[in-house]
Amino acid sequence: MSKFEPAGDSVDYLGQAEAAMSEVAEEYGYTFCDGCNEVPFCGIRFVHRGGVVTKVEPWPGFPAGPICSKGYATLQRLYNPDRLKFPLRRTQPKGAREPGFTRISWEEAYDTIVGHLLRIKEQYGPQAVFFYVGDPKEPRAAVQRLATTYGSANYGCESSTACRRAAQLAELLTYGFPTLGSLPSAETKVALVWGTNPAYSGQPYMCHGALADAKQRGVKFIVVDPRNTPMVGTLADIHLAPRPGTDAALAAGMMRVIFSEGLEDQDFCANWIHGIDELRSYVDGFSLERVEQLTGVPAASVEAAARLFAGERPGCLMTGSQGTTHNRNATNNHRAILMVPAVCGYIDVPGGIQKPTNPLEGMGGVWADGPPVFSGRETLLGLREQRLDRDEFPAWAELLFEVETNHLVEWAREGKIKAFLGWGLNTMIWAQTSEYQKAIESLEFSMAVDYFYRPWSHDFVDLVLPAAMNFERKAPFAVHGRTVYGRTPVPPQGECREDWQIALEIGDRLGYEDTFFGGDVEAACDDILKLWNLDYETLRNNIEIGITVPAQRPEAVRKHEKGLNRPDGKPGFPTPTAKIEAFSTVLDKHGYRALPEHQEPMAISEEYPLVLLSGSRLPYITHSKWREDAPWLLELQKEPFVDIHPEDARTRGLAYGDPVTVRSAWGEIRVRAKPTIMMPRGVVGLMHGWAGANVNELIPRDFDPISGYPPFKETPCEVLKTDEDAGEQKGVRADG
Amino acid sequence: MARYGIVVDLDRCVGCMTCVLSCKEENLTRPGVWWNQILQVESEAQDRIVYVRYACMHCDEPPCMAACPNEAIYRRPDGVVLVDQNKCAGVQACVEACPYDVIVMTPDAEYFPEEGGFLPAGEEALAPYRQHQPGKASMCTLCYQRIDVGRQPACVEGCPSKAMTFVDLDDHAISEDPSVLRSQPMDTDVNSKPKVTYVFPERLGDEIKKKVRENPYMLGG
Repeated sequence: MSKFEPAGDSVDYLGQAEAAMSEVAEEYGYTFCDGCNEVPFCGIRFVHRGGVVTKVEPWPGFPAGPICSKGYATLQRLYNPDRLKFPLRRTQPKGAREPGFTRISWEEAYDTIVGHLLRIKEQYGPQAVFFYVGDPKEPRAAVQRLATTYGSANYGCESSTACRRAAQLAELLTYGFPTLGSLPSAETKVALVWGTNPAYSGQPYMCHGALADAKQRGVKFIVVDPRNTPMVGTLADIHLAPRPGTDAALAAGMMRVIFSEGLEDQDFCANWIHGIDELRSYVDGFSLERVEQLTGVPAASVEAAARLFAGERPGCLMTGSQGTTHNRNATNNHRAILMVPAVCGYIDVPGGIQKPTNPLEGMGGVWADGPPVFSGRETLLGLREQRLDRDEFPAWAELLFEVETNHLVEWAREGKIKAFLGWGLNTMIWAQTSEYQKAIESLEFSMAVDYFYRPWSHDFVDLVLPAAMNFERKAPFAVHGRTVYGRTPVPPQGECREDWQIALEIGDRLGYEDTFFGGDVEAACDDILKLWNLDYETLRNNIEIGITVPAQRPEAVRKHEKGLNRPDGKPGFPTPTAKIEAFSTVLDKHGYRALPEHQEPMAISEEYPLVLLSGSRLPYITHSKWREDAPWLLELQKEPFVDIHPEDARTRGLAYGDPVTVRSAWGEIRVRAKPTIMMPRGVVGLMHGWAGANVNELIPRDFDPISGYPPFKETPCEVLKTDEDAGEQKGVRADG
Repeated sequence: MARYGIVVDLDRCVGCMTCVLSCKEENLTRPGVWWNQILQVESEAQDRIVYVRYACMHCDEPPCMAACPNEAIYRRPDGVVLVDQNKCAGVQACVEACPYDVIVMTPDAEYFPEEGGFLPAGEEALAPYRQHQPGKASMCTLCYQRIDVGRQPACVEGCPSKAMTFVDLDDHAISEDPSVLRSQPMDTDVNSKPKVTYVFPERLGDEIKKKVRENPYMLGG
């Protein structure tokens, strides 16, 4: 179809002369969006006049994008008069109703921080300081460098708390390399989308436009999700809606069909899967009838999905970062999912799960974590014996460098940590949030860096430091594949400083001037960029197109056959057995069950007959941020709703907007009802991150033994009609 | 002459709200004013949720224009229907007349009243299309300011799902395109010849049209 043709790409926004405009010239600037805490970021090109940003739009030609609702709202966030602009120190003792924060100078803030860090190192050792990066991920590399230079192995992040790492652990245990799967390529015949809704959470990967295109060219879609998401509505040829937490049983049932009908890739199974016989034997116990009973998915649908996925070769897999790991069988549920494409031989083949041939040299993992040589990863690994999670989560501690944070409560109680330095700290990430608030409050010293004062986190710390926002930051630059992009920030408002600068200046004042470049952010970036013979000035000179570092070898597939898949150059996958491990030798070594077994989720009861899903997103909100941050977005949903199937709503006499209490054995909150067929019968969903109605207070601290993840998507609950004036919502303190 | 419209493919829309916010950012409408909305329409019978991008339909025969006693509403030669803020006296006849219920009155409220507007430079420094006088009728302008420099409306250009196509209905290659021919307007009592039309998911067209008429509310809660 011949679409509307613009007059030409050369017509740009700056061309619009506005008679009313001031005499200061308009200029383009370039930055990235930190709206959903995805890295790589989406690109933003903005218009500014004298440092005042007046317009944002997608960065033309940038690999991630276009920007979503949150990206547009960064403009309003930037000029929100409520943002933090000066360092703050509390004047009232911890536990006081009002912390009494007062403005201080950066000098006083740094003197305070450095004083505590030096004292604690002397008194208890450096391991007693916990370094944390929440949302955004951007400060990670600089904060790791600070932690390891100071000498603490105890660095963690939101990914090692509730997000990506449990799935990544499953991937490393099973495949030996991290992957969230791949978008369908030209060769793909069928796509298995399991536990992810990129329409809401994956805009950076341009997922939905690409998926809708794939659908139009004939790719078949199997979407596995308890909810009736937009992915289901617009893409699914087959929708499987398992009871939350039963993914391993569903995967076992699909594999049993595949094996019994001879649809597996027999060569791949024989040559490249460790424990294939044990796996066959295990899944043999999952008849279609039993799978239907365990998962609630009709036997015919399981059978049809298995036949479609294994029969229409090749197939790709797309998983989410945490949709399948918010339960007490997190790691094995996700491992079971990963085995479905593996037995079909869809690993590192065209149209299947792609593994990059030429990741940028020196990265050693995802860009968000920074290059190991800069971040001090070797030092961190050398300190492994001092990690606080080593005894509780040994498989995790063996494979992931970030510390699993869910035992923070115990570490504080037992005196193992004395201080907490957090960038983008949000206590609502933890199940039983109030316990973590008390743990942080009990420490000898704590600080947080953020854009806004967030009472549910900052009421419990000693110092709050104001961070520069995305339009005001230089670091980090962006890496997409082998292309590197810089940014051209405007000056920060007030006394805001960018995250990296704060980490570097603390390091500088601890006495490591050279290691922290005298606090110079651009010098720190240049230290990384020299890995590829680049510097920031070169990025600025090539701002819109970036710099692509040439690949040193041709693209390859089936790299496991060619010795291109392991650091030692031998054939196979980067696991201990050099094969994909259905039977995990690492789990076996640490005393866990080694097959990806099903485990029955927490039982519903007459008192708590519904399963609660915490952690699903709205497309324009990520976690707790973006509500007060950008009033445009708060206006779209002013208060929390619980999504409930219309039939479950009818049996409870609930209509849209009715006030309800959502109650589990661990807590209760008051919200409003939203009957919707988004939810299946028997399952309700509530967006996390509402300070007055924090759904994670309803989730127990009862963890998956391998990953330590809590049951955010497994906990039984009930929804009860409540009076409109049933009293005030609780404050930010659970006991408040 | 061009005659502009939008074809919305409801099989591609996922309700991500990007168009709602790209419109807000482009036009800086005041609090509570959402020219571009996403309606959530649920078919329990077919177990399908459909998201509907909903805004001024830029009718060829706009009832709002006919209703205005001050001739404040006009249709440009390219079909874009606009309110002349200087002529609008706040009579609200257009609000009543609009069969799609998409015209609102600009409120007094501002997002950051203590800052004297939205951007630090002050509202007076903003482009005219971003200024909205309280008490005047307000609706989607099809981003005329972008059309005039050869760009597409912000909602269309920013859609991550490519669910919208900006079309010139006077271009025969376009007006006879199968997806344009297949698209239909939302139901109303009057045939105002809307230029925003929809490709409905199979077997759901009638139910969607009915529900949009019954209860058009913005996705949010």
